[in-house]
Amino acid sequence: MARFHGVRRLDGGGVRVRLSHREREALRSLPGQLRPLLTGEQDVDTPQGPLRDRLFPRGYDDPLAEMEYRELVGSSLVDERVAALDEFARTLESGDDKRLWWTLELDADEAAAWLSAVNDARLTLGMLLGIESEGQWEGGPDPEDPTSVMMFYLGWLEEELVHALMGELGGGAGAGPAAAGQ
Amino acid sequence: MAAPAIAPQRTDQPRSDERTERDRPWNVIVWNDPVTLMSYVVFVLRKLFNHDEPTATKLMLQVHNEGRAVVASGPREKSEMDVSRLHAHGLQATMARD
Repeated sequence: MARFHGVRRLDGGGVRVRLSHREREALRSLPGQLRPLLTGEQDVDTPQGPLRDRLFPRGYDDPLAEMEYRELVGSSLVDERVAALDEFARTLESGDDKRLWWTLELDADEAAAWLSAVNDARLTLGMLLGIESEGQWEGGPDPEDPTSVMMFYLGWLEEELVHALMGELGGGAGAGPAAAGQ
Repeated sequence: MAAPAIAPQRTDQPRSDERTERDRPWNVIVWNDPVTLMSYVVFVLRKLFNHDEPTATKLMLQVHNEGRAVVASGPREKSEMDVSRLHAHGLQATMARD
């Protein structure tokens, strides 16, 4: 099979991930840092405000309605994101470790967990870097700043995951389920 | 534990107005975020709302260019579910009535 670097779709909804050992090590550093931020054990002040407000944004402007919304879904939103992060951490310890590449197969649920964890990590790094416009990261990372390099790397990985998973969604261009019934 | 209170009968409530107020649809709004990838927003809109790719891309571009877009509209319970699914995927979403 042809060698690739990144994420490729498999039949049945899963994906194959192939990364360097260095990339895998970088990803392994994420769960331990992200978990206390998701659970609320720890919060961080960023230039735009507390990080937790961005990870768990408000649904209503009205304070009373917002309070009821939080009571209803707040803890399940946290549990879901932490479960995805745990799945990401668990699968990072599996896979096939060859001389140059680390290769891993994920089923659809595990791939969704990766997307959740990588997206949360990007949101977190973006807040820590104080990013307020797309132009601050689209041009490339600051090679002197490890946080900036990591955020840029995760952007590449997330694009790889999204493109591999997009194929599993119904329809494709112009023929989604919404259009199919017409 | 207190016994359940019995609500007093309200005879002066204009029922038709109440219904109109309750039936006014809630809009689910996605807000622009400078960090979130455009392709990810398209992916989430397609996954959650079954939009085809052109529709999801159009909505994503509206969020990107105008700062926000209404991605769904409906009764409060459904809209609240939509907002919570968008939140579960890390998007900034709120709900409001016109």
